[in-house]
Amino acid sequence: MTRRNCEAPPRLAERLLAAVLGSGDWAESILGDLHEEYAARAAVASHRAAIWYYLVALSLIGRTLLLRARVARTPSVHVGPTPPRGDSLMRTLGLETRHAWRSIATRPVLSATIVITVGLGLGANAAVFSMIDALVLRPYTLRDVDRVALLFYDRPNNIDRQDSVSAADFIDIKRQSDVFERLSVFEWWTANLVGIDEPENVLGFKVSADFFATLGVEPAIGRGFRAEEETVGRDQRVVLGQALWQRRFGGDPGIIGRAIEIDGAPHEVVGVMPGGFDFPMGAQLWAPQAFTPDQATNRRSTFLTVIGRLADGKSLDDATAQMKVIGERLTREHPDTNRDRVMQVYTLAQGMGDMGAGPILAMWQASAAFVLLIACANVASLLLARGVERQREMAVRVAMGASRVRVVRELLIESGLLSLAAIPAALAVAWASLKLIVAYMPPTIARFVAGWNEMDVDPRLIAFTSALAIVTALVFGLVPAIQASRPRLTETLKEGGRSATAGAARLRLRRGLVIAEIALALPLLVAAGLSVITVHRFLNGPQGFNPDGVLTMRLMLPEVKYPTEESRTQFASAAVDRLLAMPGVTAAAAANVIPAITSNWGRNFEIDGQPIANPLDRPDVDYRVVTDGHFDALGIPLIQGRGFTAGDRADTQPVAIVSQAMARRYWPDKEPIGARIRFSEGEPWLTVVGVCGDVIHNWFARRNYPTAYRPFAQGPTRGMALVVRTTGDPNALAGPSRAAVRSVDSAQPVYEVASMRENVKIRTVGLQYVGGVMFAFGGLALVLAVIGIYGVMAYMVTQRTHEIGVRMALGATRRDVIRLTVRQTVSITAIGVAVGTTLAILLGRLIEAGLFGLTSTDPRLVAGLAILLALVALSAGYLPARRAATLDPSQALRQS
Amino acid sequence: MAYNAGTMNLGEFEHVVLLAILRLGDDAYAIPIREEIEERTGRAVARGALYTALDRLESKKCLRSRMSQPLPERGGRSRRYFTVTQAGLSALRASRRSLLSLWHGVEGRLES
Repeated sequence: MTRRNCEAPPRLAERLLAAVLGSGDWAESILGDLHEEYAARAAVASHRAAIWYYLVALSLIGRTLLLRARVARTPSVHVGPTPPRGDSLMRTLGLETRHAWRSIATRPVLSATIVITVGLGLGANAAVFSMIDALVLRPYTLRDVDRVALLFYDRPNNIDRQDSVSAADFIDIKRQSDVFERLSVFEWWTANLVGIDEPENVLGFKVSADFFATLGVEPAIGRGFRAEEETVGRDQRVVLGQALWQRRFGGDPGIIGRAIEIDGAPHEVVGVMPGGFDFPMGAQLWAPQAFTPDQATNRRSTFLTVIGRLADGKSLDDATAQMKVIGERLTREHPDTNRDRVMQVYTLAQGMGDMGAGPILAMWQASAAFVLLIACANVASLLLARGVERQREMAVRVAMGASRVRVVRELLIESGLLSLAAIPAALAVAWASLKLIVAYMPPTIARFVAGWNEMDVDPRLIAFTSALAIVTALVFGLVPAIQASRPRLTETLKEGGRSATAGAARLRLRRGLVIAEIALALPLLVAAGLSVITVHRFLNGPQGFNPDGVLTMRLMLPEVKYPTEESRTQFASAAVDRLLAMPGVTAAAAANVIPAITSNWGRNFEIDGQPIANPLDRPDVDYRVVTDGHFDALGIPLIQGRGFTAGDRADTQPVAIVSQAMARRYWPDKEPIGARIRFSEGEPWLTVVGVCGDVIHNWFARRNYPTAYRPFAQGPTRGMALVVRTTGDPNALAGPSRAAVRSVDSAQPVYEVASMRENVKIRTVGLQYVGGVMFAFGGLALVLAVIGIYGVMAYMVTQRTHEIGVRMALGATRRDVIRLTVRQTVSITAIGVAVGTTLAILLGRLIEAGLFGLTSTDPRLVAGLAILLALVALSAGYLPARRAATLDPSQALRQS
Repeated sequence: MAYNAGTMNLGEFEHVVLLAILRLGDDAYAIPIREEIEERTGRAVARGALYTALDRLESKKCLRSRMSQPLPERGGRSRRYFTVTQAGLSALRASRRSLLSLWHGVEGRLES
């Protein structure tokens, strides 16, 4: 039998098990057996094998401890592997563990309540941890991923902080640096794949020849790119992604060497990448990056992402230092283009990670921690109540000579066992939440989120949850344990614990805990409310255009087939005409960019009569090239002047329409109509003929941003979006619209065919996640707090049954009794809400930051939720009060 | 306490474990023993239970064990190989005898 021996089991689990088993032949043979079995399983699926190892190790640890306990109790019988002779601490611990189990088992309902409460709290934390682990800590599963670095320009004055690198700069950097073993680039490539079935748009990248080697991966079949293929004319080669190869070419290995048609030209397939490799951003097609002579000397146009593998012995700091030197040199030599570019080196996770994800996940983890704290307060409260019941037991034990340390230790072991028992529940909660989170994400977005598909219950998550469970046990168990170990000996033994004052300290503690629960729950509720309101506003609030009844799609005309501006304009007008001919269509248009899609296009401009010498200093606006139906199709109002007409052609006067925000900012007290603007020296001056309404292009970075529009015919682009407005259901037009485009050019694929409503929804999907998760946390906090309040109030009433009986016998009315008990609830709730409101306002600031400053803490929201929480808390306290009031005084007196 | 092989009672699981070791011959260490039992009886065997039974059988002198050379596929650890001792064989025989005599005359009733 050949078993792989390179795979070692999870170190943490193995060490724990080894520590429990001790030394000797038995320990060695057991650890060896598990290692052997692990290796066999890991050869099939290493992920599962690790989970298996953890489970087996945990069960063996549990069994060994239990057996030892039995040995300790009846030392004359030899049972189990290597009993720890002479190891009295271990033996005592084992004995105490057994005691604790028994004590837990005698109160199954209480124990189950605690396990579920802790399980929910731990589960929430585990789910968030798993997301942080997959998305922020380890989003890439490449070989030696920490040796891979990205280069960007940092532009302090730019909104998009990281900027790509120009081809000429890259060539210089590559020549001058020695800290990288390999240095390559990649560039976004929207590839149109033709042939076999319907033409299709595929996400591809143009990459350097040693791109794959930089990442440490090799094609599964065929080869990667050769250096000579980085030249124009020899660059028509592609490597396919596994998924594309399977889906489109049926996994046929004969594809190697064959030519497929992409962007109107044949490309030879030279290789297929292994399954799971889709770097970057879900790529399925790679082609060599060949610079034209123009590009190779151009420093202005920045379109390359530089990625490198550090040379042996060089650190990220070395790379940062060297790039700084090279960057400064480039700035000195080419001040006009490189003036405010600062070269920065990032790790892959930093460079490719979503900048917004960190703060949001931190906010979630903080909220999950709040939920766990509330759960702890609840459990502590339950344990305090249990401590009262066990007063006699504790008193007897202390009287018999047990030390307080020992009693506390045993109670802590009980807490620890309860907490450990909650781990499977927590993992189940985490697993279910992750499934839900993954399922809700539209695949169009998921592919851009590195590590998204890596979120799962894995050994790291189990280790994290276990560690957290132990800390949690200390948090909820320590105070009740200390309380319970301090019985009033003589009183308790004599009386059987009737005195009402004996529980006073505990009751005070429990009231404190409930106050804490309310105080923690309120901020979570406010956070949930804020998030939900924000999401609602984004989805349904004003967008500046009318998203209802609109269908959108995108396409990219291949350069080879549409080399001239006329050909592009012709395509656009033909496509718009065909779309307009469909029944139910009231307007249709083509544009380079439409609101609510992933891309944007900004350009610097200058106003006639206000020259700015350096192009870098010119202000930038969002740049739109649209056909004349654009404003009608999207429902963007025209405020002043005229719209575009069919008469605005390439050979007529160049014109522009500006948005209201642009008019206000650049012509604050003047009439914009008639003014002239220009986008660069070589281009004509455009006369402003109209002012239109502002649009929310993107809720996060581009709200009502100054925007300039030009007629499509005066600046046609290859990449464009088509919009269709209909009186009916826009989704019903998807098929006919595709057919309409095909009837213009049968080889032209369209992609992202979706209704505008859907686009808006997809653009805010991250925010919907924030809202959904915060809502879940808020709900969980509310439920836990209510259970806590009810528990304490019900308990208090039971404790005071005797007192209530006496009062009623002496003439107190039901109303008096209710008032007496409700008063307690009122004071607890009032203090809790007061503290909670303060916390909520503080947390609100954090949420505002997490939600990109899109929302502010509305005092009405805080007040409303505080009232809601107070009402819920009061009703939770009212139920036990009513029960107290219906007590029959004679029975109440007898009962106690 | 000295065990008399003739009168010693084997638990059912101990019985199964001894038989599995006999069947395996020279290759009897915990992993194949467990596989053999699971394959033959069709029921899952907890690792902890197996180790406990092996330890108990060894202390009853029904089993003898030896450690192999350290093996790389086990992270440099040894295997513990078991052989059934004379006492173990006697215990099995006695156990079989008592079971057979109990079975005697009742087979027919279980067949339907």
